[in-house]
This record gives sequence, C-alpha cells and structure tokens, in this order.
Amino acid sequence: MTGTTLETSLRRGWGYWWASYVSMIRWVLIQQKVLFAGIILTQILLGIGAAIMYKFYLGSLDPLAAAFLVSGIPALSLIPVGFVLVPILVIQEKARGTYDFTWSLPVPRLAPVAATFTVFTFIATPIAALSTFLAAWQFDVTLEVSWAVVPFALLASLMASSVGYGMAVAIPEPRMTNLITNVVIFLVLLFSPIVIPIERFPEWAETAHRVLPFFHMSNLMRSSLTEGLAADVAASLTILIAWTVLGWAVVARVVGRRG
Amino acid sequence: MTGASVAVLGVVRSGPSYWFESLGAMLRWYLTSMRLLLPVFVVVQMLIASGFSVGISFFFEEITPEAALFLGTGASIIALILAGVVVAPQLIASEKDAGTYDFSWSLPVPRSANVTAWVMLNAVIGIPSMVAALVIADWRLDLDFSLSWTIAPAVVLALTCGTLIGSAVAHAIDRTSITQLLSQVFAFGILGFTPITYPIENLPTWLGSVHRVLPFYHMGVIVRGGLTDGRGDGMWASFGVVFGWTLAAAIATALVVGRRK
Repeated sequence: MTGTTLETSLRRGWGYWWASYVSMIRWVLIQQKVLFAGIILTQILLGIGAAIMYKFYLGSLDPLAAAFLVSGIPALSLIPVGFVLVPILVIQEKARGTYDFTWSLPVPRLAPVAATFTVFTFIATPIAALSTFLAAWQFDVTLEVSWAVVPFALLASLMASSVGYGMAVAIPEPRMTNLITNVVIFLVLLFSPIVIPIERFPEWAETAHRVLPFFHMSNLMRSSLTEGLAADVAASLTILIAWTVLGWAVVARVVGRRG
Repeated sequence: MTGASVAVLGVVRSGPSYWFESLGAMLRWYLTSMRLLLPVFVVVQMLIASGFSVGISFFFEEITPEAALFLGTGASIIALILAGVVVAPQLIASEKDAGTYDFSWSLPVPRSANVTAWVMLNAVIGIPSMVAALVIADWRLDLDFSLSWTIAPAVVLALTCGTLIGSAVAHAIDRTSITQLLSQVFAFGILGFTPITYPIENLPTWLGSVHRVLPFYHMGVIVRGGLTDGRGDGMWASFGVVFGWTLAAAIATALVVGRRK
C-alpha cells in the first residue's frame, strides 16, 4: 500500500525541491547541534576579540584609518566561516560517514548543498554585523550604512561558503583540506588587504589579491558601509560572482558524479 | 642466564651520571619517534614566526626605528613563547593520541630527565623560529638590535617557563581535544592580548595589572632586554617574576607527572 504511494510520488519540480531543501536544513542543523553552538560562541569571541586586538596593536588611530579598519571587520568575520568552518564540517561528515549517507538520500543533489550554505549564512552574517558594530563603537567610527549591505553581505557569505565547500568536497584527503584552511586563516589575518590599504603591500602581493576573493570581499563590504573608502566596486562584484560560480561548478561536478 | 637479570637489577639507577644518560636516551627517543612530525612543526613555526614579522609591519604606514625595534623583537619573542605554551601541549596531546605517551612515561628513567628532554625538544622548535622571525624582521624593518649576554639566560628561562606551563596543562588533562582547544586559546591570548609586540600602556589598566602578575609580559621584557641591550626597563625584576613562574610550573609538572596510576 505505502509502497505504491512512494513509487508514484513525484520526485521533481519546484515543490519537491523546496520540500527537500527544508528537510535538508533540518538535517544539517540536527546532526551538528554541538558544533554549531561551538561555532557561534567562538565566532562571537573571535569577532569581538579581533576588533579589540587591533586596538591594542595600533594604539590610537586617525579617523580615516579607524574607518578603514572597522569597515574591514565584516569580511574578516565572514571569511573564517566560509573558508574554515564549512570545510571542517565536510571533513567531519566524511570522517563520520554521514557524508555518503547524505548523498544517498532521495533529494536533489544540490538541496543539501543549498541547505548548508543557508545555515552558514544565517550563522555568519548576524555575527559579522555584531562584530562590526562593536568595532565601530570601540574605535568611535560612524558608519554610513547603505541598503547594499544586505545583498553584498549575502553574496560575500555565499561566495565564501561555495568556495570552501567546493574545496572540501573536491579534495579527497582531509588533512590536505585542513592544511589549506590553516594557510587561509594565516594569510587572511596577516597578509590580506582587508583592514590595511592594498597599496601598502608589495606589488606581487597586490596582484595576487586582485585575483583572490579576500580583498574584493572587504572592498565590497566597505563600499556599503563607508563613503569614499572603496574603489572599483563593480570589479569586486564581478570577481566575487565569478568565484561563487566557480565554487558551485566544482560542487556540481563532484556531487553530480555517480560512483 | 639468570646472571643477566641479576646484572640488570644490580645497575645503580640513581646519581647524576644515570640522570644524564637517561636524558640523552629520552632525547634520542623523542627525536626518533617524532622524526616525521618534528621537521614539519619546526618549519610551520618558522613560517608563522616570519610571516608574523612581515604581516604586522603592514599595519603601519611609517614606522619609527624605536617602534620597529619593539615590533621586530616582539615578533621573535612571540615565536619563542608559542613554541613552549602552544606547541608543547599539542605535541604531548599527539603523543597521547598515538598511545606512545604511556609508554614513554613507563620507561625506567627519572621523570625529571623526561621532562627536561621535553624542554630541550621545544628548544629545537622555538629557537629556530625565534631566529627566523628576527632575521625576517631585520630585513623588513631594518632593526637596530644588539645582543647582550643576558639573551642566553633570558631565552633559556622563557623557553623553560613556557614549556613547563604548557606541559603541566597537557599532562594534567586527559582529553586531548580539550588540550588542543586550550592551546588555541593560549595562542590567541598571547598573540592578541599580551603586551609583547605593543607597549603595555596600550592595554586598559586592569589588563595591564593582570599582565604584571602573569609571566608572558615579563618573558617579553627579559628577552627584549637581551636583544636591545638595556632597553628593557625593570629587566631584573622581570627575571625574578619569570623565575618564580618557572619554579611554580616545575612544581606543578612534578606533581602531575609524579602521579601513579
């Protein structure tokens, strides 16, 4: 009786996709309850800590430098979620075996991917906003927030999760992924023109950062939070979209395989 | 045949020569058992230290020679402290994970020799990182540093103190995931919230007072004193504080590793 119902149920179309997506969000949230609590806590501490830490290092700042620093905080907060926590989640799923289980579920293959991105965006963006406001308060900076901050933050978060996820599913060796995430954290915190103007970097590093997504993330976010501190916003937008598409292409290729 | 076992039992297992023999053997044992891991740790720590030197120089558009000296020596001091406080517990945790930990501590050597071997092992990681950070900082910031003889006791004391604090924590905690997490917290706290690469005046007063009691700020003062020849104000008082912490950490380590299961 039930068997017949199952066989005749329609497994495609928007309605089915939406239902799969919603159940996948539940699945992602349930299996990683503890991890998510830990992530939220460390992200909040890191975000607030980073703003305070910069203040200790730099002592007093002129208003322009302070505005530059504060408007870099959202990118600084979003990057670890997409480039470190998303890959860690995938590594953990691979280690526990839930990775293969998830792909065996009768849902469209991009539904779990979209669900993961949604969950991480909902975690990352409010924390980024909170850290930024705290930093603005610490450095006594008045931000000129424009409406573009919402789509830009969503794009930045989506891009980071897409590239991080693509990397983690494409690389079979978890230790390799771990190493790359460590390098990303290190490079981003120290060598990225996120809180420091790009002109201060050596030419080769500047060239590299015009291709890599980190500088463009901060530039895009900065354009929606300040006036006159960000240049070439259209270029940054294009490059971020290109990285997002690349991330999705890698994910689609890897998860679309049968094997 | 019984003669052999009698001979083994008859060996004197005490005295300085037995202690030094044990130290040598333990050092060999750790260096061999970590022959794959250790080079990676050394290289990674050297890269982090050099990267830190370069990275923080970007923070400042123009930098005075005074500030450059502070920053450059600070980066190398951080490298030294991280080797003890962060790498040591991670190595002990990885030993516990691998199962070699219980074996190492079951060997018939004095436990103090075993701990000393750990401190020396950390010197293998910490000193190259410190030198690398200093050389890179010198290249980037053109430092005007001058070595004085106090650098030797300062480095030995800072390294010993850091390693003993780190290893007391790692020996005491059985769950290695907690040790790993704590070592990250230590790293974050030392990089961000300890006045080593920036003056203690940049901190709020209460946090400054906390750091006058904790050893990390003072480790910075004594090592910087050895690198800048007299610029470390109150250097001898700081030597006293670090020495006090080293003693305390040594006692704590002795209590933890002296436990019998």
